[in-house]
Amino acid sequence: MAMMTGDQYRKSLVDGRRSYIDGELVEDASAHPLLRGAVDMVAGTYDRFYSEDPDAFHPMYLIPRSREDLEFRMEAMGRSDMTAGTTSSCMALVEVAPELARLKPEYRERVYEFIDYCRANDIRCSEAITDAKGDRVKRPSRQFDPDVYVHVVDRQRDGIVISGAKLHISAAPLCHEQVVLPTKAMKPGEEEYAVACSVPSNAEGLHIVNTTNAPRTEDQRHFPLSSRRNCPEGLLIFDNVFVPSERVFLDGETSHAALLAHALGLWERSSGIAHVGDAADRLVGLANLLAEANGGSERKDIRDLLAEMAIFATMCRAGWEAAVKNAKTNADGTVSPASLYVSATKYYNHELHQRMVDILHDLAGPLLVTCPTVGDYENDEVGADLGEHLAGASGWTALDRMKLLHYLRDTTADTYGGWTQVAGPLSGGGQFAQRLVALRNYDLAGATRKARQTVGLDPSPAGDEQHGAFA
Amino acid sequence: MSAAERYVSSLRDGRQVWLDGRRVRDVTEQVLLRKSVDWVVSGYERYDAAPNPAFVVPASPVELRSQLEQLLSGDRSLTSTAACVTALATHDDSAFAERARALVDEAKADDLRMTPASVDTAKPVRVVARRPDGIVVSGGKYHVLGAAVVHRLLVVPNGPVDEPEQAVAFTVPVNAPGVRIVVSTTAPRAVDDRHYPVSRRQSISEALVMLDDVFIPDEHVVLDGDTAGSGELASTLEEVELAVAVAAQADRSELVLGLAQSIAEMNGTGGVAHIQEKLAAIAVYAKMCRAGWEAALAGARAGKGGAVRPDEAYLFAAKSYGTRSYSEMTYYLHDIAGGAVITAPTIADLDNPDIGEFCRKYMRTMENVSGEDRIRIFHAIRDLTADTFGGWDKVTNQAIGGNMQRQRMGALHHSDLGAAKDRARREAGISSNSS
Repeated sequence: MAMMTGDQYRKSLVDGRRSYIDGELVEDASAHPLLRGAVDMVAGTYDRFYSEDPDAFHPMYLIPRSREDLEFRMEAMGRSDMTAGTTSSCMALVEVAPELARLKPEYRERVYEFIDYCRANDIRCSEAITDAKGDRVKRPSRQFDPDVYVHVVDRQRDGIVISGAKLHISAAPLCHEQVVLPTKAMKPGEEEYAVACSVPSNAEGLHIVNTTNAPRTEDQRHFPLSSRRNCPEGLLIFDNVFVPSERVFLDGETSHAALLAHALGLWERSSGIAHVGDAADRLVGLANLLAEANGGSERKDIRDLLAEMAIFATMCRAGWEAAVKNAKTNADGTVSPASLYVSATKYYNHELHQRMVDILHDLAGPLLVTCPTVGDYENDEVGADLGEHLAGASGWTALDRMKLLHYLRDTTADTYGGWTQVAGPLSGGGQFAQRLVALRNYDLAGATRKARQTVGLDPSPAGDEQHGAFA
Repeated sequence: MSAAERYVSSLRDGRQVWLDGRRVRDVTEQVLLRKSVDWVVSGYERYDAAPNPAFVVPASPVELRSQLEQLLSGDRSLTSTAACVTALATHDDSAFAERARALVDEAKADDLRMTPASVDTAKPVRVVARRPDGIVVSGGKYHVLGAAVVHRLLVVPNGPVDEPEQAVAFTVPVNAPGVRIVVSTTAPRAVDDRHYPVSRRQSISEALVMLDDVFIPDEHVVLDGDTAGSGELASTLEEVELAVAVAAQADRSELVLGLAQSIAEMNGTGGVAHIQEKLAAIAVYAKMCRAGWEAALAGARAGKGGAVRPDEAYLFAAKSYGTRSYSEMTYYLHDIAGGAVITAPTIADLDNPDIGEFCRKYMRTMENVSGEDRIRIFHAIRDLTADTFGGWDKVTNQAIGGNMQRQRMGALHHSDLGAAKDRARREAGISSNSS
């Protein structure tokens, strides 16, 4: 098999899948006004990385064996679309493959065969992890409806049958395979819920109900980012879906449910924070441009705000660099970013992100959300005059100022901005989960030992006296 | 013909309006602007036979509280009209005060809706010619709320100006020759907009208004050339806008709490420790926002023209606090609610026979929670805090009372610093008058 071109990808999605948006069945996502933009974005990645070499594959399928591999892979992900991130579900499977082999050797074999299949066919996978969950404080086996967690409802000679639903599945209608993983740890007695498998998007009994952050205007030029980089979110409904044995990676072993969930969380979070330094730099740059366009770039109060943002951006970058520097290697030689730094960076970024957005909104003022559109600017009756009314300071033309304001509104104060505001902190587990993961991976014993030595409860190692206690 | 019908009919007056680069010949027929029209209609229907709070200049704290409660439960044109009425009715420029009162009387008699236009574009509004019976003005104004769906603009300088030609204020009908209105709107663009429960009912269009050689008859001019008093009208408008914003902030904070508590209970997490912590943080925020508004009302006193105004130190302090913490509260709200804020199926999905029951089934969490009700709460949270309307609401509210630094400075400047210093000196045992 060879890599797919963008056009081949578009055609591959017309496979009889039951995908819906706004209550309508969508037979061809590439022809639907609310999904076309996302399909085009993914197709663009296909074209960008396309090679006729039969052995070529997208770097998202590179299993990192060194830090350099890891950095190379993440750099390529930055030049790709969101399905490169969701296909991280494959990395989660690879990471836990040695552990799965201890349960059943065929689980590990199936994982690598599946990865080979995906790589060879150049397909995209989703991360189908979050269950409907029902009453959040009750175990899966104690729910009023057993289907609120995806579970095995029947076992057949050559596979299993599953029912249930997975929520918030980013890019689901753009993917070929929906990779189902347990949402959390399972306990003895919950064997039917300890299931990991992959389901083709056109499998019988699978329905994909989508929402989207794509703009709904006819002329989308004042949505400069979301018109190109929008992302549908799918609710996956599994109604007695048959999964052949070769696509089942866990079936009934409750001891390993959490392992898969945690592995996916790590890769999902890593995809998010690998580029968080760049994203934060962009926010600082936007703030500086707003100050220029509005005529305040040298004001002391604005310089102070820029300094606050610069510190934020620098810490975000430092967090990812530390995650790579402290990368871990598993028994199969797969290198993964350090979970402590990944979670700490994700938490830090999202705790302060909205404060950075508040600063940007302050600098922009209400024109951010009342600025005329490109269509207005091009109108024969009003466009030329708008050019004069909207001109900025320091030689900023009206059109450039409008581009700046449109970008900022689109990404922080409109549909796409709302989506990032909600999805960012929640992806890969919410902020509370990041705190748990950080503490679990933090060297608490080492910190406590230092504290005991510092206050004199234990002797300090030779040459490491009290100096630097507060350094 | 009812007042509402007369209002709709009155909008077909040749006003020059553009939206998304296209001329809108009739705002009542344009699908997005019609939502603004319908909201204003609701105000006409409500006050068809009852006293309209927009035309009241409150003379006591009780009247002020009552007026704000009525305004906040109505459409936004009532609030913008009330701001214009207060500014004109209390205008104390001796040369124009009588004329300003006459404009209020006329607006009230004709049941007109007005809106302020104060923030200048790169071409500030100025007098470009004078005629025996009036002036001719040109220039532009940003952020004119509801310009396309009201009757008159009250155009004022954004603050004190140095040039006499820019020290000009007047009312102007929106259909006057030379007035062009370029509109933006938060009205939902979905053909089926039932998953936008708030913005489908409560979107008011904003506008950039351009004035090109617009003739203003003398009887509509309320400031002309007086640079010393040029900031007075804008100052009054800002005071009213700030008071409305602080009162609305108290309501909004309680709405955020209500949404958070509702969805936490529906999710089954109302008793989970870290969720309780976040709910408690929102409850503290809501109480402090309410307390700020109540304190501002308690300190209200008669100001210029006899109009009662809330205490400004509390207004600025409450606004600064509310603005600075609002994003943190929505962040907690989203954390409590979860990802379905942005991924909940639409009402149209529920109507689809192939998937509707599945959507209800999987959005249901326990015996006494309906999947559809939970979906509707998610829609409300998204619409109010994480979509087009929520973005507009957040950004425009943040800017009322100036930017965040100016709001803090407002609290400082209106605080009784002398009393605070005296107290500090007493505690420190300083008896001399040295500073």
